[in-house]
Amino acid sequence: MNFEAVIGLEIHVEMKTRSKMFSSAPVEFGAEPNTLVSPNDIAFPGTMPTVNKQAVINAIRVANALHMSIDNTLVFDRKNYFYSDLPKGYQITQNRRPIGSEGYLEIKTDSVHRIAIERLHLEEDTCKQLHFSEYTLLDYNRSGVPLIEIVSKPDIRTGEEAMKYVEAIRSIVIYADVSDGKMEEGSLRCDVNISLRPSGAEKLGTKVEIKNLNSIANIQKAIDFEIRRQEGLLLTGHPIIQETRRFDETLKETVTMRVKTDAVDYKYFIEPNITPIKLSPDFINAAISSCPELAQVKEKRYLEVQGLNERDASIILQSKDLSKYYDDAAKYTTYYKSLANWVTGEVIAYLNKRNIPIENFFISPAQLATLVNMIEKNEISNKQGRDIFQEMLTNSTNVKEAKEKLNIGTQINDDSVILAYVNEVLNAFPDSIKDYKDGKDRALGFLVGQVMKRSQGKVNPGLTSKLLLEELKKR
Amino acid sequence: MQFLDLTIRELHNELVKKTVTPLDLVKEAILRAKADNNNAFEYIMEKEAVEMALKLKEPEVDNLFWGIPFAIKDNFSTKDIVTTASSNILAGYVPVFDATVVKKLLDAKAIPIAKTTLDELAMGGSGTTGHLGTTFNPYDKQHEHLIGGSSCGSASSVAASVVPFALGSDTGDSVRKPASYAGLVGFKPTWGRISRLGLFPFATSLDHVGYFTRSVYDAAHLLNLLAGRDVEDATSSDIPVDDYAKLLNTDIKGVKIAIIKEIVDSIYDKSINAAFQKTIASLKIRGAKVEYVSIDRKLLGALFPTYVVISCAEATSNNANLDGIKFGPYQAGKTYEEVMSKARTKGFSELIKRRFVIGSFCLMRENQDVLFLRAQKVRRMIVDKVNDIFKDYDAIFLPASPTPAPKLGEASDRLSDEYLIADNHMVIGNFGGFPSITLPLGFKGKLPFGGNLTAKPFNEAKLLQIANVIEDITGFYNLSVRTAKL
Repeated sequence: MNFEAVIGLEIHVEMKTRSKMFSSAPVEFGAEPNTLVSPNDIAFPGTMPTVNKQAVINAIRVANALHMSIDNTLVFDRKNYFYSDLPKGYQITQNRRPIGSEGYLEIKTDSVHRIAIERLHLEEDTCKQLHFSEYTLLDYNRSGVPLIEIVSKPDIRTGEEAMKYVEAIRSIVIYADVSDGKMEEGSLRCDVNISLRPSGAEKLGTKVEIKNLNSIANIQKAIDFEIRRQEGLLLTGHPIIQETRRFDETLKETVTMRVKTDAVDYKYFIEPNITPIKLSPDFINAAISSCPELAQVKEKRYLEVQGLNERDASIILQSKDLSKYYDDAAKYTTYYKSLANWVTGEVIAYLNKRNIPIENFFISPAQLATLVNMIEKNEISNKQGRDIFQEMLTNSTNVKEAKEKLNIGTQINDDSVILAYVNEVLNAFPDSIKDYKDGKDRALGFLVGQVMKRSQGKVNPGLTSKLLLEELKKR
Repeated sequence: MQFLDLTIRELHNELVKKTVTPLDLVKEAILRAKADNNNAFEYIMEKEAVEMALKLKEPEVDNLFWGIPFAIKDNFSTKDIVTTASSNILAGYVPVFDATVVKKLLDAKAIPIAKTTLDELAMGGSGTTGHLGTTFNPYDKQHEHLIGGSSCGSASSVAASVVPFALGSDTGDSVRKPASYAGLVGFKPTWGRISRLGLFPFATSLDHVGYFTRSVYDAAHLLNLLAGRDVEDATSSDIPVDDYAKLLNTDIKGVKIAIIKEIVDSIYDKSINAAFQKTIASLKIRGAKVEYVSIDRKLLGALFPTYVVISCAEATSNNANLDGIKFGPYQAGKTYEEVMSKARTKGFSELIKRRFVIGSFCLMRENQDVLFLRAQKVRRMIVDKVNDIFKDYDAIFLPASPTPAPKLGEASDRLSDEYLIADNHMVIGNFGGFPSITLPLGFKGKLPFGGNLTAKPFNEAKLLQIANVIEDITGFYNLSVRTAKL
């Protein structure tokens, strides 16, 4: 019997806003515990929430990127439950009216799939618990950090699709400057709902939830494993138990966390401390139009306007910072393909070798563009370009200084000047002419070298070869 | 020295004339507070108040509140001053920030001298349920009668002239009812007119900051000081603040006042009815147009149950932060559930637990439609009806309570119109967020009783003008136990 997996994802994205969702405490990852806390974040009596405007702008941008309709009124609800990581005893979220609804995302596996997205809403994070055998420590730095939750419809069928979907959302939130999207630090968290049913069946099977997935690769692994596990159970006549599982990295398996009992009643009601806020069309449009360029839009521009090949474009887009470097450099040149070559070649090679991030690369985008321009305008040769680049890396200088240091003059591209050198050399080495005529190809290289030497390396090598060949024919 | 028998206005004059200093006033207030036997105080801020008074040297002529002692209901957050909301669950809790209203008063150099008792967590109307026990009515030396709540300690301390004004909070009628029983001006403006930041929430959509004074003049000046937008309270209004004090002495010729017939008809106390009718007659002489209007009895009968559902529902959520983990007495346990449930079992009285159970029940998925959401609808119907009245009238005038302060332990028939309609009508002011003021109308024996005026949202100026005229009619300016001619 063949089974079909029915998969839905809930993604929580921690925003990197300056302050928290409803308080003025700063947001920062990795600070000393309990140093980024306002009275609100500990739920001291009498504290009140105020909405973070940037968080709303961010949510609008992501909702727009996911082709969602955006509610013109901002309404928050309370989700009531008791838990040690929830200081107020309720979470402020959006239940009845999520800011974004009914959108979709297209992903490419072997074909293009459209994954429908049910809702996107704003909410606040809980505090972080550190469990020890005898006690639990609470870090309120995370309490109140703005979150957006994105809930897909159960349109996903495979681990690969799930991975691509999360990758696409991750790219959106990173490029829109909403989040750093780091799964390993928990700023992007993904919960998977998965059930199996016989292919062609309508009725859904028993749903299992997988939590605590800390990398995109693990999402695929966990789902692939879970599909095999459930298949195995179903084929041997065992029931699927409704439960929450987690992915164990060492076992490469999903394991039981807790068995679900009845669904919790969160007793939602409208948050009375935040009267509904009208979002004007101007506000929504401004949020969208001021959104930083998303990877998909950049890619289109790279391919269609700048003429890059797909490989270079995709390498540049693998990192937002790299694409920023490239975009900044592209302001100073129109030789985009050559620039992309340099960025994906020499630059990345150097960064990888030294293990430094592009933000810390000391050759400025403008300097790299200058170098590319010089090469493309034949002022220097490719080889000289690389020498200058090396010199800049070694001695942290700029293009001009490096060029002077290496004593590289401006390349000679004038036919008549080069021709003079060529004839001088041919007159001086008649034996080489003979060798060439006898079919010894080495002789040509020798002659080019001699021209180079006499011109102190300034002649354009391509032009020199061409002129030499023409002159040799005449003799 | 009996300076504290005076109102803020007169005290200010004495301070400016330097016949008295802030330190003298603080000392007198502390003395009176310590001698008080009405159980009005959670904490007397002797050291802090004296320290502050010592710093005040040169009187500020244009600042009515400079050097004036006052009291704060113990459900306002006060930095470094223990604040319990009269509940054991907050025993020993020392806030890290001042409520906006406290901050404004401190900035004006008014001097807080005490935190006052309340019904536990402001949930109650009797003044008997705080963790320190019953707070008494200073008009009743035998301690047989209630003062009413929940702002019992604040009412008691102003009526006893320990302080000329005190902060309270009003979710159903928690300022305006005790004001009636204690012969005081008790006022809460429009929802959103004064910041609630730092007020411990009971039922957010109904909660108001309010206060007690002994004159309408003082109430108007206090509103000038406390009203206004607070960026930290997202529900506070940015509608410009009027100069209520300056507008106070406008005559009321042509002002239209509505009396709700069904409510007056549910009041059987002869003294109250007589004083009320007498006041109406005088208002007419002053040029006001006073007319009876009607509201369906069924709708009025729904006031109290609607209030119970909404207030308990919001209260259960608002107080979910009280779990002993972050502040308040911690109870050890093996699981978080055990820690929380022990703290809450020990920390809340049975009455509070009862409200939480009711609130939780009303919010349950299967009950929300028929209880919580239906209550919201009824609330809307009532508010719409009252707004209709405000299309034709400037204010609604009613007796604040059907009787003077009842005896302690006296049970009322909770299904009678007298209870459902006459004893609970002031919750209309909370449902609609209307500005509403209680002020003394008369006495029955030794016990005072009040009248209540309510106006449309943000019409505090008009409300205070009418109240000022009523005060002039009754002559109950600066009424207190010490000044009353009994």
